[in-house]
Amino acid sequence: MVDLKTSSGQTISPYIHSQNSLSRRYGRQTLALIPLFLAACLTGHAEVLRTLLISLVSGVAFDFLSAKIFGKKERLQTGEIVFMASVFSLLLPSRCPSELVVLGMFLAVVGARELFGGTGACPFHPLLLSRVFLQICFPGVMVEPALFAGESSVWTFAALLLSAGIFFDSKQGRWETPLLFMAACFFCEALFGGEATPLMFFSGVLFTAFFLLADPSGMPLTKKGAAFFVLGAALLSSRLDPGGFSIASAGYAVLFMNLLTPWLDAGFKPAPYRAKNLIQATYPYEH
Amino acid sequence: MQIRKPTGVRLERKKEASLLNWNLKRPLPPEKISIPLSLASLPCVRAGDAVQAGQMIAKPEGPKGVSVHAGIAGVVEKTGILENGRNREISAIGIRRQGEPKTVPAPDPRKGWEGIDSEELLKIFRNSGLVMTNPGEEPVHVKIQRHVSARSVIINGCEPEPYLTCEQVLIMSHPVEVLRGAEILRKACGAARIVFAFEDTNLETIELIKSKIYFLKWEQAEVRTVPAIYPQGLESTLLQAWSRGKEDEAVVFPASTAFAAYEAVALQKPFYERVVTVGGECVVEPRSLWLPLGVSFQDAIRACKGVMREPEKVLMGGPMAGAEKKTGESFVTAGTSAILALPKEVVKKGKEEPCIRCGLCVDHCPVSLSPATITLAAEQKEFGIAGAWDAADCIECGNCAYICPSNRPMLELIHLAKGHMRQVAAHG
Repeated sequence: MVDLKTSSGQTISPYIHSQNSLSRRYGRQTLALIPLFLAACLTGHAEVLRTLLISLVSGVAFDFLSAKIFGKKERLQTGEIVFMASVFSLLLPSRCPSELVVLGMFLAVVGARELFGGTGACPFHPLLLSRVFLQICFPGVMVEPALFAGESSVWTFAALLLSAGIFFDSKQGRWETPLLFMAACFFCEALFGGEATPLMFFSGVLFTAFFLLADPSGMPLTKKGAAFFVLGAALLSSRLDPGGFSIASAGYAVLFMNLLTPWLDAGFKPAPYRAKNLIQATYPYEH
Repeated sequence: MQIRKPTGVRLERKKEASLLNWNLKRPLPPEKISIPLSLASLPCVRAGDAVQAGQMIAKPEGPKGVSVHAGIAGVVEKTGILENGRNREISAIGIRRQGEPKTVPAPDPRKGWEGIDSEELLKIFRNSGLVMTNPGEEPVHVKIQRHVSARSVIINGCEPEPYLTCEQVLIMSHPVEVLRGAEILRKACGAARIVFAFEDTNLETIELIKSKIYFLKWEQAEVRTVPAIYPQGLESTLLQAWSRGKEDEAVVFPASTAFAAYEAVALQKPFYERVVTVGGECVVEPRSLWLPLGVSFQDAIRACKGVMREPEKVLMGGPMAGAEKKTGESFVTAGTSAILALPKEVVKKGKEEPCIRCGLCVDHCPVSLSPATITLAAEQKEFGIAGAWDAADCIECGNCAYICPSNRPMLELIHLAKGHMRQVAAHG
């Protein structure tokens, strides 16, 4: 890391900042999930709360431990762990054994996130990486999450719509990403067809579009790159699952596209406006 | 040909407070001023000499030199060193007011000024001490000589930064003078057209200038607007938006420079004062007012009835691209558009967190860079990568640092990368 202190000790512009912050971002994203948890409880999927509790406690513990081991500050204040735990509990099957939940959170927090250098540094979606690992190791247990599988109901779908609406309204992230993903999924479904019921299909697509693609760390930085990423993810999701779409296939698809992110970043590198001759006249301050 | 959709951030404008005190006033001359000298100016007064307001105190030296004029009447106290607005020590001339403040005599209008040719205009600019009223402070005659092939003169009335109202107030108070000044600059440049640039929210100013152009029957002038988002309206973004890859064919002057050009040519008044916005939440009576060059920030704030409470930061310029001043002993220069005294709650910055690659900085960069990639590379001292991602093209507008949810020191890191690249270029 570099030392940024100036010789004069004075700070550098800008001196005002937007209201954006990580805690606000994760807070709003977590808040958007509340209707989904409420609907899960009301429709007989209260086990999700047990999974949430276990993933939350284990996530906080692993975050604390990894902070001690790697000499970093824990991320409780930003709310990242709470969001991760909330999404992870929805990604797992309803009756997932506690030890698998703990193992999954360990893989996501320590194995995927911290070993790659912490928040934002992991090239893969940590939760999907963890879920795919569990799925490969325990294929019998790691079935589709109840909320997005055959047990999904109109009420959970309505709650998911509400969650997506709250998420959309919170304006945390690019609005094009989820919309483009959904459009591409619907297009692929229309083109290739699938065995999934419309409710299962829509629930899975909505959840992936708004909550799994909400983690930008493994996605390209530019809008064009991100668009290519979601189109690829949508196409792969629909082709990897015979049913047309599933959380498992979306996981594989997103992870595969994560692999391509450095090339997408380089390929869609923005062409800068050359303004070298104007810099001296416009911003001559020597900070 | 590259045409881009204007990019930027919509900032809270905070201009209402200083626009409440609409009329431009000249406060009583301060006790003392310290006028900074450029390297291309040679002092022609000595300590103890009595000077009048507007009197030449330094002669232009060399073709890029420009004269310097006294902002107040008084006695030359010292010619020495002071810290200027850019945190560097430069030579300066101090003038202390003697006796009671006197009224500055009315300027003497120049006869037949409308027929003066381009060469003569450049001489007048040079001898009047006319420099650009933006932070570059480039002598106007030098800028014009650099843009001999310019076909359009853009008069910039945009102030995309919050708090700043000096240009708007000046244009609203002296619209015809600004128009005449623009015509003088057009003639000096040999350009065919004048384009007045305003933010699209500045409806009164747009209407006023349009009506004046109509009644003057000027076919060579037009009014164009830019969206009121930062940094649209800065010189670089105006050229980006309108010159479409042919920057050499347009030259941008702030409206206050056009006004100063009019005064220099038509009224024979040298450039020794400018309109400055003194504002910020801490100032009792924020307003734009005439201040002589060299007046201290303390005196400027005192002219607006002082501060209500101790400011956390005192800035020269706007909060997005300005510079922080630690001491109260900083001085107004030609490029000082604003003096802002900001409280803690306005300038507070959240805790720094790691980059989550959200892409907000990329989406809001007005020159289409990838600040996240550049800063992540600079953080790891990978300056080669930062260079490959076009760090040199950054205009340092501060958008990325403003918008970043992780509160990363984006501009510091970009500045560091640029500094390293300059060093590499210089030493191979």
